[in-house]
Amino acid sequence: MKKFLVLQIGALVLVSGALGGLVAVTPVYDEVRSGIVLVLCLSCLKLEPNTLANFTFQTADNQSHAGFVLENLSQGPVFLHYSGDACAGCDVMYPVIKDLFSIEFGKQDMFSSIVAFENTSVPYIYVNIHHTIDELRNAQPIYDKDHVGGIPMFTIVTLGYDNGDVKPKYTTLYGTLATYGCDTDAQRLVFLQQLLRQSIEMYNQNKEGYHHH
Amino acid sequence: MKLQIKRLISQILLFFSANLGYPGYPGLKTGFCYPFFYCQACPAATSACPLRALEQSVDKGSFAWRLFFFPLLIIGTLGILTGRAVCAWACPIGLLQRGTGRVARKVKKTPLARKLGSHKAEKYLRYTKYVLLMSLVFVTSYLIGFIFTDICPVGFLTGTIPVLILNPGKFVPNFFFPVALVIFVLFLILIFIIERGWCRYFCPVGALLAPFNKISFLHIAVDIKNCIHCNVCSYECPMGIDIPNMHRDPECILCGKCVTACPNQLITFERKGR
Repeated sequence: MKKFLVLQIGALVLVSGALGGLVAVTPVYDEVRSGIVLVLCLSCLKLEPNTLANFTFQTADNQSHAGFVLENLSQGPVFLHYSGDACAGCDVMYPVIKDLFSIEFGKQDMFSSIVAFENTSVPYIYVNIHHTIDELRNAQPIYDKDHVGGIPMFTIVTLGYDNGDVKPKYTTLYGTLATYGCDTDAQRLVFLQQLLRQSIEMYNQNKEGYHHH
Repeated sequence: MKLQIKRLISQILLFFSANLGYPGYPGLKTGFCYPFFYCQACPAATSACPLRALEQSVDKGSFAWRLFFFPLLIIGTLGILTGRAVCAWACPIGLLQRGTGRVARKVKKTPLARKLGSHKAEKYLRYTKYVLLMSLVFVTSYLIGFIFTDICPVGFLTGTIPVLILNPGKFVPNFFFPVALVIFVLFLILIFIIERGWCRYFCPVGALLAPFNKISFLHIAVDIKNCIHCNVCSYECPMGIDIPNMHRDPECILCGKCVTACPNQLITFERKGR
């Protein structure tokens, strides 16, 4: 009887102590909050957002553009790719993006590069929300155009002309692009290429007027 | 106050506390994992599904130790204190099955159900939840990246359906939707024909909690010496346990129905000891 009680108390102290230590010493609480609770995996939701691939000046909730996006925008239209672990939709899109820009990187890497797309420089920024820094992760809600709050998510930020000013203009796509009529990798690739060409055209029309300090 | 009323109040309060995350009402989003089965995809969810954290921790051959141990330690702490009581006193899916239990109890009286319920294979079927936990939460996640939460009926009920209702026209089904829908329909049939059918046979979170019944402080004790073997307790048990012959049974969810039902008050909640 006493031995059993000692076993129970020992187990409780060990397990609850380990839990307290884990929460106090490691960033696991923030990892779960920012990586699971706040940003959903759309595959787990079993749904694809039914959104339009239109370009807009207005960021989600009128937030300011991310500093790293504005900096990169002076080099070309910025392609932001939000992905995550244990996300079937992200796994579908990962090779498509690698094909699109002819690049190689690990799914859990932090990766950014100026890539060439049809002779135009495109700053490509890959963000695995489970393996990234706050600055990149925090930019996800800014470009969550349709308030979906899910991954995979793709944003192309280019330049547009608005009431006498050249400003960043962007569009955001979600999921595996099924709602844009893309069911195969080839269709996804063609769709993204078309959208990139459109964004490059807009960029080239407006880049003279863009000044970022 | 009657024990079962207390349990109902506990279930309702914990259902609401699990749903404090809806933006503005009050929008509480924490970094904890639920110690029961509930989906973070629910628009009002406050925390993460423990299975999702586990799956993510072993995604495609990787091992994120913090994410692996965090849900296990949360479940372990509660498990050592109260065993599987979480299933009966806190889990929203338990509350749902409490509602469907009336129908299931009527089905239970049919000759076919009696025959199937007493079949010797029934007790082996209960191991399905452990197989499901090991295979779809750990093994397939680790080896090929296929995860249970992509086809989870609880996620479908608490995540997919509310999102579709609250955002009409904003979402369309993805490639997992048809499979998840079929599993969800089977889940509904199950909980209407077998009392606590999900908890008994399939719940992976129940499989995580069940072993803690063996060492938990809180448990059900039967005074077997004075038992008259009327079997009222076993008949009342929603988990179909042979109560007089159980000792810290991993299937026991500590709902207390046997405690209430025993005509001689020989079944009690105990807080410590064997």
